[in-house]
Amino acid sequence: MKSKHTTFISILILSSCLSPAAAVSAEDMVLVPEGSFTPFFLKKDDSANSSSVAATAIAAFWLDATPVTNRKFQAFVNQHPDWHKSNIKKIFTDSHYLEHWQSAQGSADTADLDKPVVNVSWFAAAAYCEAQDKRLPSTDEWEYTLTDNERDKENLQKQIMAWYSVPNKELPAVRTKPANGFGIYDLAGLIWEWTADFNSYMAPPDSRNSGDKNLFCGSGSLNASNLGDYAAFMRYSYRESLKGNFTGKNLGFRCAKDAK
Amino acid sequence: MKTNLKSKLLLSLILACTSPAFADNHEHHHHGHETAPSAPDRSTVSTDSVFNITDNWTAADGKAFQLSKLGGKPTVVAMVYTSCQYVCPLTVQNIKRIERSLTTAQAGKVNFALFTFDPQRDTPAKLTEFAKLHSINSPSWVLAQGSEGAVRKLAVTLGIKYKKVQSGDYEHDATISILDSNGVVKFQADAMNKNIDGATDALKTLLH
Repeated sequence: MKSKHTTFISILILSSCLSPAAAVSAEDMVLVPEGSFTPFFLKKDDSANSSSVAATAIAAFWLDATPVTNRKFQAFVNQHPDWHKSNIKKIFTDSHYLEHWQSAQGSADTADLDKPVVNVSWFAAAAYCEAQDKRLPSTDEWEYTLTDNERDKENLQKQIMAWYSVPNKELPAVRTKPANGFGIYDLAGLIWEWTADFNSYMAPPDSRNSGDKNLFCGSGSLNASNLGDYAAFMRYSYRESLKGNFTGKNLGFRCAKDAK
Repeated sequence: MKTNLKSKLLLSLILACTSPAFADNHEHHHHGHETAPSAPDRSTVSTDSVFNITDNWTAADGKAFQLSKLGGKPTVVAMVYTSCQYVCPLTVQNIKRIERSLTTAQAGKVNFALFTFDPQRDTPAKLTEFAKLHSINSPSWVLAQGSEGAVRKLAVTLGIKYKKVQSGDYEHDATISILDSNGVVKFQADAMNKNIDGATDALKTLLH
């Protein structure tokens, strides 16, 4: 608790010293420090002998402390009517865009304002972030933040699996559970989140032959970098099943920003 | 490239069925063409056109380029990068075979567009070199470089997966897409497939 407090203060100091004009509010965004993690991926069949998996380095970056809420997305839609559910272009979404906004004006229900916005396509999520001069986090950034520098790893994985097997019947508001060690809320237990490069492969970071895509074969999965992390496998698989225009009633997003 | 597609689909399906957490809006329907326009279209661009993407690209001749410049003619589109050893040259060869399957008059009414995955290395000069190497000299062709964001957005739009790996190369789908003159995707095929009849037929239908 003490250390978190210190981090928070140093973020404030850091942001006010380094970039007074950047207007990144420490209240909404948290500076996730640089670090590294081992991304989940499936190895190709012939590389079963390599036991060491290269860690991926992550530069420091800003991340929204919580998923974007209906309240914030409503404000965005008000300012950018192109993204109103009656105006959005067909190429940017399927037919379920914001379908939980059921009022006659197609706006968010008052009771839902502090819940994460869902039923948004990748295009809508990316447009929201761009409008705030932000961007979607990369998959690596998102996964790195979830690992929480391996703090309380076992417990975290149990929590995640418990949620994956019995998801919420009704979405709770954001920030109702404690933040992780980075000061980030709701990475697990609330919704699935879009990443900038969700349309990636589960390829190892050093793979070369771009013609070979047998990454899903049975024996490939046995060589996953972390056999215990079935939850990660589910997340990566889920992302691979998405297309940019898809929406989901448990699929939302948060934004990131370069630390510079 | 699609040899594992079935197993992928199967996997997604298994996951979708076994975990209620995967209950997105796509379990039980396809995102087929929904013809009823849901909104008044305030511009001349069709609401399901890729021309709604307005990122700036730079063509091999150094000039600014936008997707909407492909309007007015059907277009054969692929994403490649010039350091790619095998998949991309083959993709280009297959597009050229599609071009050759058309009469000269028909080919003159079609755009051929290659967008690079690799904004760092594929400068306009590099793209020009690549065009020369593949004997691309018709004005119907355009090769273009964009920002990382523009590349990602186009790939997402065309349903193309890719990932940059540590060597600087890219793991990527090889897909040929055919757009109609309004920028609506009408046909997609595996660029590695030697049989180009589907693409040729789709183009001829659009030229009809």
